[in-house]
Amino acid sequence: MRGLQLPLTQTQKVRLQRALEKLESLPSKANSNASVTVADTIPVNYDDGFLKGHGTTELSGEVVATVCGVVERVNKLVYVRTLRARYKPEVGDIIVGRVIEVAPKRWRLDINYSQDAVLMLSSINLPDGIQRRRTAEDELNMRGIFEENDVICAEVRGFQHDGLHLQARSQKYGKLQRGQLLSFPPYLVKRRKQHWHYLEEYGIDLILGCNGFVWVGEHVEAKDEMLVDQADKPDSQTPKTIDYSMSLEGQEQMYTPLETRQNICRIANAIRVLSMLGFIVTVEVVMEVVNLGVSQNMDTHQMLGSEFCVLVAEREAERRSQKKTKG
Amino acid sequence: MTGLSLGEKQFIQGGIAQDLRSDGRKRLTYRPIYVETGVIPQAHGSARVRMGGTDVIASVKAEIGRPSPLQPNKGKVSIYVDCSPTAAPMFEGRGGEELSTELSVALQQCLLGGKSGAGAGIDLSSLIVVEGKVCWDLYIDGLVVSSDGNLLDALGASIKAALSNTGIPRVHIAAEASGEDQPELDISDEEFLQFDTSGIPVIVTLTKVGRHYIVDATSEEESQMSSAVSVSINRKGLICGLTKRGGAGLDPSVILDMISVAKHVSEQLIDRLDSEISAAEAIEEE
Repeated sequence: MRGLQLPLTQTQKVRLQRALEKLESLPSKANSNASVTVADTIPVNYDDGFLKGHGTTELSGEVVATVCGVVERVNKLVYVRTLRARYKPEVGDIIVGRVIEVAPKRWRLDINYSQDAVLMLSSINLPDGIQRRRTAEDELNMRGIFEENDVICAEVRGFQHDGLHLQARSQKYGKLQRGQLLSFPPYLVKRRKQHWHYLEEYGIDLILGCNGFVWVGEHVEAKDEMLVDQADKPDSQTPKTIDYSMSLEGQEQMYTPLETRQNICRIANAIRVLSMLGFIVTVEVVMEVVNLGVSQNMDTHQMLGSEFCVLVAEREAERRSQKKTKG
Repeated sequence: MTGLSLGEKQFIQGGIAQDLRSDGRKRLTYRPIYVETGVIPQAHGSARVRMGGTDVIASVKAEIGRPSPLQPNKGKVSIYVDCSPTAAPMFEGRGGEELSTELSVALQQCLLGGKSGAGAGIDLSSLIVVEGKVCWDLYIDGLVVSSDGNLLDALGASIKAALSNTGIPRVHIAAEASGEDQPELDISDEEFLQFDTSGIPVIVTLTKVGRHYIVDATSEEESQMSSAVSVSINRKGLICGLTKRGGAGLDPSVILDMISVAKHVSEQLIDRLDSEISAAEAIEEE
């Protein structure tokens, strides 16, 4: 947690301090002999050959860590993985990215990594749903599918010779509209089985990208376009985007309904508070924070205030200490 | 700033139209304001104000100078704002110069009034030491450390806080001089005079998006604005300055409406700011 920038009264500061101390005193589950700080010696068997990786150096015959982190060993490679590292993509990660360039037969996306990711035209499902070879016309119509600055949900396919490749082959992936994108440090999102959550009681999609980009938006039914009858096409595909030539009244009718918007803002604020405090972001924790806000009868914008922040910290400390006593 | 997709832009506009913005605020609600005073010990007064992601620092330095012959009974104040490259990549090198000049001019108009010094928010005649010969020159500098919209309001608030934190050294006149000579001065290091800041106005910026106005826009919301009007209002509810930005034209009735909304918002803002400033000064004294 880097410098909470909120006006805290004296009592709030004391409460926050106490909650944070309680959290720090809880023993962590990982074996603590694997964590090192700068200038700690790394226990290595010097008889076997080994390779010194990132974050290590040789100092008077010993292997010493140059960063604070956790020691990882892969075959003969010994390296130190820092906790607050830049996002490192793995195959199968679900990520949320923004298109920055439309290039021949591909889109380039910004995914909070040191390189831009590439989404090939052949790695997405075409709007008409038919599986066919991409023609030159498809290439010319790329902007009709994804434009610059669009927010897209995709999966990491792997590293190829020209960079990181993504794919968006399932109906769930694709352009995200009618919602907001949040950005925070990627180490707060741990890899789970599910990253794509549909919160039914709110009617909201929550996508926790592994790269620290989180999308909170209105729920969109993933239509299976193969089953749509050709004759029904003009009706069923009512465009959810608003044409700027429509009058203001027409636009207003197509805005997100107030109830859904209220929920979107609450969830977004819950995530903002958690990232400000440096707590891991998972669906359960987010829902708990939202329920805490509702039970305190707080206005949505007060969730970003100092009182709520302190409450969340205290709740989290309680929750974790309860988990410890149970498990 | 990274661009926004069409869906995100519509979400923001829809939120403003329905009085529920992206972070849950109403149209006329400010973000939490965090004030720290005395952040620059070498200056006579300084303050740092944070509104959400926006972070600005203001400092006040006073030097002895000569009043201008046209206004022998008024001191001089100059305001200058600098946009640091840490705020945004586009401010690197000379990129931030245009925005800096725009902010400096807007602040000068709001706080200092016209060229003759009439209608100034800051009382210039309190800066006089010896009429016609010696006065205080105040140099107010603002630094934008991090930008997330609503820079003008944050700078106005930080200048107000810095001025209330300012201590002008007491000056004793050692020897009287006749004619054109400068009198000898004895500037004390111990005693300080507090600047009277009750008359200093605050700046309220109203950003028009679609058909509605919002207060304290984030940089995402500012990218959707058609025009923005910044009104500087003092404690008595009188307007000290008015600036309009943005290319879209506004009907005169809309401007009058915006002014009345700004007046209504400024009452709460002044109270809130005063309590934050006094809390910050109390912490500093500890």
